[in-house]
Amino acid sequence: MVLKIFFPTCCNTADSGLLIGRWIPGQDSAVVLAVIHYPFIPGQVKKYLSETQNQSQVDLAVLGSWSLPKDGQEGMDSFLKDLSTIFPNSRWLQLSREIGKRGFACQVVHNRITPPDPAQGGTDKKDQIIFIHYDQRKVMLSQLHPIHEESPGEESSELRAVFHTVAQSGPLFLLDRYDEGPLKLTHWQSEGREASIVVELSKQASVPLCIVLTWLVSLWQCGIRILNIWPVQFISSKMSTCVQTAYRTNHFQTVFSTKKATSHMEFMRKANIFVSFLVDMSLGLLLVSWLYRENHISQLANTLVPVADHVAKELQELLEWLMGAPAGLKMNRALDQVLGRFFLYHIHLWISYIRLMSPFIEMILWYVGLSACLGLTFALSVLSDIVALLTFHIYCFYVYGARLYCLKVYGLSSLWRLFCGKKWNVLRQRVDSCSYDLDQLFIGTLLFTILLFLLPTTALYYLVFTLLRLVVVMFQGVIHLAIDLINSFPLFAMGLRLCRSYRLAEGVKFRVLCEEPGTPLHLMMEINPLKCSSVLQRYRTPTYSCYPRDSWVDLCKKLFMGELIYPWKHKTTKTD
Amino acid sequence: MGANSGPGASPCASPVGPWRKVLYARQPFPDNHVDRRFLEELRRNIRVRQYRYWAVVRETGLVAQQVSCVAVFITLWSCMDQGRLGPSVLLWAATGCALPGYGLYEMLGGKDRERPRLADLQSAAVFLAFTFGFSPVLKTLTESVSTDTVYAMSAVMLLAHLLSFPYTQPSPPGSLSLNAALFASVCLASRLPGALHTFAMLSWALLVFALWPCLLHRLRERAEWSFPWAAGLVCAGGVGGLGAVWPGGALLLSLALLVLTLACPLLLVCLQRHKDNIHGPWDEAEIREDLSRFLS
Repeated sequence: MVLKIFFPTCCNTADSGLLIGRWIPGQDSAVVLAVIHYPFIPGQVKKYLSETQNQSQVDLAVLGSWSLPKDGQEGMDSFLKDLSTIFPNSRWLQLSREIGKRGFACQVVHNRITPPDPAQGGTDKKDQIIFIHYDQRKVMLSQLHPIHEESPGEESSELRAVFHTVAQSGPLFLLDRYDEGPLKLTHWQSEGREASIVVELSKQASVPLCIVLTWLVSLWQCGIRILNIWPVQFISSKMSTCVQTAYRTNHFQTVFSTKKATSHMEFMRKANIFVSFLVDMSLGLLLVSWLYRENHISQLANTLVPVADHVAKELQELLEWLMGAPAGLKMNRALDQVLGRFFLYHIHLWISYIRLMSPFIEMILWYVGLSACLGLTFALSVLSDIVALLTFHIYCFYVYGARLYCLKVYGLSSLWRLFCGKKWNVLRQRVDSCSYDLDQLFIGTLLFTILLFLLPTTALYYLVFTLLRLVVVMFQGVIHLAIDLINSFPLFAMGLRLCRSYRLAEGVKFRVLCEEPGTPLHLMMEINPLKCSSVLQRYRTPTYSCYPRDSWVDLCKKLFMGELIYPWKHKTTKTD
Repeated sequence: MGANSGPGASPCASPVGPWRKVLYARQPFPDNHVDRRFLEELRRNIRVRQYRYWAVVRETGLVAQQVSCVAVFITLWSCMDQGRLGPSVLLWAATGCALPGYGLYEMLGGKDRERPRLADLQSAAVFLAFTFGFSPVLKTLTESVSTDTVYAMSAVMLLAHLLSFPYTQPSPPGSLSLNAALFASVCLASRLPGALHTFAMLSWALLVFALWPCLLHRLRERAEWSFPWAAGLVCAGGVGGLGAVWPGGALLLSLALLVLTLACPLLLVCLQRHKDNIHGPWDEAEIREDLSRFLS
């Protein structure tokens, strides 16, 4: 059978001593975590091991002995073999290496606690040993991502068990060579513990800061509770600024909570939110500095009113064109005039409203521009709301046209059934024949004729206003896509993948180090980082992203029947 | 084994007995064996009626008079279109025809009334109000449609009316036929110069296409002798009216009526000889008794 020993590269040149590690249960493999050097007292070794085991929840054991004979240290072999009696285990590894040679030699001593399993051939066969070298620091910091979703805590694969063991053995790596203790260890941190003053200071300072910020956020949320009254809630659910604010408040709650992140996903989420918030703020501040320099705000305000006027004039011309004979279509003149005058009156109201507001536009814009300090996403959602407000008349026209057209289509289909002598059976959801009364037939036919001949007129108005509305909706959709991108892009995870790619592992690669006959096989285990697309997929912050509600076919059907379309659906976390 | 199959063979006397016409018993004959009683139950032309020529001619009067009704309507429309008749004249004429017609209907109706008089009055009020109210709208409906299209649509609709008319049971008017006729009349009426013209046209359409068949049906039921006279009157009115407007059309109409009334029944009677229907026990079963006795 093949025995796999995971050996840290930092211990390749360690002095002789005891191997500390863990036997992976169920597999024929062992993970070597550290080497304890001579001189040592076995009792203290055992005490240290049991303390570390309590702290780290990893069942550590003495795996065997390691000998790298330096000058003046010959004759250790028999000493090393006697150690197997002090630390009883089912197997005892004896690794040795000579300076100058690349390969190790290994001998496995089986302690006959249990008799040999007759199913495995009975006698002691010569074990085949593979040494797998790993970089302890990288494996400790790395997170192995499952290909499929697995429940946490299950160590179903050997590699996952190895990674888990090394990651959990943090308390083992706290002793370095500057510690004045009875034991001398070699592991990746034995040259000196890594720490930086900045990180430590910020860790200390962040706790009271988090408490203060959490309290502020909860105050803010209490304030927002007022907005749950129905009219205000309805309006605020339509304005994307309010939606974005609520979303960011949720984020702040997550980020500033004083609870430490327990799992890797939680930590990554906190970090992603924090980094994207910082980037958002900085972009917003950039925008603010550009806006308020060289009086850009007043330039913007001065162009806004003429643009709104121009849009209104264009709409007026369009309606005049419709009231004539547009594209040679046969329109009913009377209905045409009625509809055209109705819409023209609306536009007239709109123009006067804009003229009324024009002195205040600059001041409003100035204050609204300040809100970009809260982030670029905030500024974009304010822009989207402004666009919605400015094109409100287009929305109104669209609703009028759609309702009229929808009424007409339903009336026509029902009266067509009357024309053929049939009726819609609501109970059976099918079309049945029906014998109508004389007066029903008469009035039904008259109405059918009227609706049929008025159809081209209404359909044309509906078409024109639907196209305008779709243009506005597309524009808003683009803005929302940009907001969504900034909100959900996992910047921290991407940065981690680019700079410290070993921290997000998808799997491992093996490279052959030494393959000589007579010595065991040596492999080097290297971490295979996660692909960028997988990073995006896994660590994407869930947002209230808008995506199309219906497929293209459904959308066309709805347009044809005259139902009102709201093409973007907001995915809220409550209904998911 | 019974190898002789065919209708002329004598029944095979085999150890199991004569051949029985069942499939559930195993018999020594092949499956397609038949004996001399093959096709014994075949009947030919059991439901073929022997028509008498003049009876058929009498019944054809209904179809002829319906065609003439359409001709009368077109005549009235073209008179108004050419300005020969004013709308008020037509309206008075309509009233003058409707009231005696209703009186006749009541006289022939007798004791059984399906609808109370009040309901009739209500219907009449609804018709008049609705038509009068909507006639300005109806007038402007086809303003932007070209004349040829309007004429084509009306012709198609009137043809549909004639084809789908329920000749066997005209009293509740068939939906499609009445609707087609009304649609055609609205199309034609919207070409007239004024709203009152439209109103007059629609009232006449109602009279001719909706109310007249009911009266005719009542006449046939109660006073069988008057039916040919009524049909003949309508046909004469149609030909005469069309003659006043378009003589060529009158000629065509009279030719069509003659063919319809005289030649088509002759054809029907002559072709009856060539009928060859076969009936037998393989026909679909038809339930002929009245099953309502199971419901009570």
